[in-house]
Amino acid sequence: MASSLLFDLENPLTSADEEQHPFSDSIAALFAAESDHMSPIAGGHLDLSARRDAVSLILQAQFSCNLDPSVAYLAINYVDRFLSKRQIPSDKPWVVRLLSISCLSIASKMKKTDLFLTDFQREEGFIFDAKTIRRMELLVLGALDWRMRSITPFSFLPFFLSFFSPAQPPLLHALKARASRILFKAQNEIKMLEFKPSVIAAAALLSAAHELFPIQFASFRSAMSSCEFVNKEKLGECCNAVGDVAMDGCDSTFEMVSSSNTPVTVLGRHCSSSESERTVGSSSDDHDLKKRRISELRGALRLS
Amino acid sequence: MEKYEKLEKVGEGTYGKVYKAQDKATGQLVALKKTRLEMDEEGIPPTALREISLLQMLSRSIYVVRLLDVEHVDKNGKPLLYLVFEYLDTDLKKFVDSHRKGPNPRPLPPSVIQSFLYQLCKGVAHCHSHGVLHRDLKPQNLLVDKEKGILKIADLGLGRTFTIPLKSYTHEIVTLWYRAPEVLLGTTHYSTGVDMWSVGCIFAEMVRRQALFPGDSELQQLLHIFRLLGTPTEEQWPGVSSLRDWHEYPQWKPQILARAVPTLEPEGVDLLLKMLQYNPANRISAKAAMEHPYFDGLDKSQF
Repeated sequence: MASSLLFDLENPLTSADEEQHPFSDSIAALFAAESDHMSPIAGGHLDLSARRDAVSLILQAQFSCNLDPSVAYLAINYVDRFLSKRQIPSDKPWVVRLLSISCLSIASKMKKTDLFLTDFQREEGFIFDAKTIRRMELLVLGALDWRMRSITPFSFLPFFLSFFSPAQPPLLHALKARASRILFKAQNEIKMLEFKPSVIAAAALLSAAHELFPIQFASFRSAMSSCEFVNKEKLGECCNAVGDVAMDGCDSTFEMVSSSNTPVTVLGRHCSSSESERTVGSSSDDHDLKKRRISELRGALRLS
Repeated sequence: MEKYEKLEKVGEGTYGKVYKAQDKATGQLVALKKTRLEMDEEGIPPTALREISLLQMLSRSIYVVRLLDVEHVDKNGKPLLYLVFEYLDTDLKKFVDSHRKGPNPRPLPPSVIQSFLYQLCKGVAHCHSHGVLHRDLKPQNLLVDKEKGILKIADLGLGRTFTIPLKSYTHEIVTLWYRAPEVLLGTTHYSTGVDMWSVGCIFAEMVRRQALFPGDSELQQLLHIFRLLGTPTEEQWPGVSSLRDWHEYPQWKPQILARAVPTLEPEGVDLLLKMLQYNPANRISAKAAMEHPYFDGLDKSQF
């Protein structure tokens, strides 16, 4: 019985092994609740450098403890929500480490994953005792109002997948797998925090569909943008942002192609790595191909 | 915890003492429930964490008692968790009792019964749509705001960490009156039907001002049900005779349900009958109940 309480990123509202319930009820509830689970940067005081440190420590833990990516994903979601509500004193950088460890601990409990952080802490050269972590857990829980069943983009994948046709399980599976990879990657981008989870989910699926099923893409896009819950304009902006992540690129062509449309959001990215990538990494053919694909994607995802 | 001032003990919940208290800063009245969840070396226990976050999610509905806060106190170096809920001045049991005895006994107005039942169905539908069964619905667990005419479901969710006990921690026998026949017969698979059975019993009790099936043991409870609704047969409830606690029972014929609730209008009797179906699969869902003609005269826009 207890297993039914297990938290599933895709299914924050319903417990998995209970009776299946009509989609419509819970989906409306999801859309209604998602704003409570955001960590706004605009107007907020999200400490970007603390966020960066926490994300890198959590990802480090994911690799070194061989954690399920969804545990790390949830932990980072807690970190973001915590940082959007509380300030970390800048003279106490260790608080970021404590926060990261505590969020990992809470996330692993929500997912019922065993997590032994002692070894990891030792590797990283610090160690917090159990009592300290417990106190921090309570601080995080309090700051997040004990809303630990986070509504994330993953929560919306099943709903948006229902707009894809043909609804053949292997296709849907592939689409979801690709979109999930994009979501895991996109979480590292601070820019993504501006968007509602549902919008990010829709954008990740569109991006995945464009890549995997170009023929079905157009009808998928129009079905999705006719959905009552989706703000087309926001989806367009988010597609641009997701496009960057999905293509793993950071290319100046991006800015030129899209600047007419969404100047602010796209130019917000740092492109410091592109120069070195160009000279060190790929051949010019690869580079051109990549450039072309990216601008195709940009054009295709533009919804207006 | 210094945020709240305990005013009085208002009850012995199934899981512990409940206090009426006041938020010192805002003056707001709250109900404080001490849980027996102790934190150990591993910090907050995973089951408590998962349940409280579930409760937090469900309490978004105004038909579910709102979880306002979770507090912890250090007791002998061990933190104890308190759940802080919104406070309502009465519950449905006290409300019905006040109409049965006391200075002014009178039936509940039909419009109140209708409105309370609708709100109850709405709250139950909300829980069910989130995949959560209450499993212990009873008038004591339904809090009432008399002024506003609002009814809210309480004592939700914790059923899982603690499992439904036969005796509460004060050794008071837990009431069986609202328990569905499949639970009494030892089914291993619970479904949303267990809650709808309880809703039916509560509906009838509002009309009668006394319990429909007041059994004092599991066997007596079953016999009460069988005497009114007839002994269930394999035909109307496939699989009933293979349930764990099934025995041979006297064969009673079903009585006319309307006689048990003589003041209830025919549409109401029809809805009650649909809630008291033996086969859980045939029992009306909370959502479907809200669409039943019994509620046609109700202004649903107010909910």
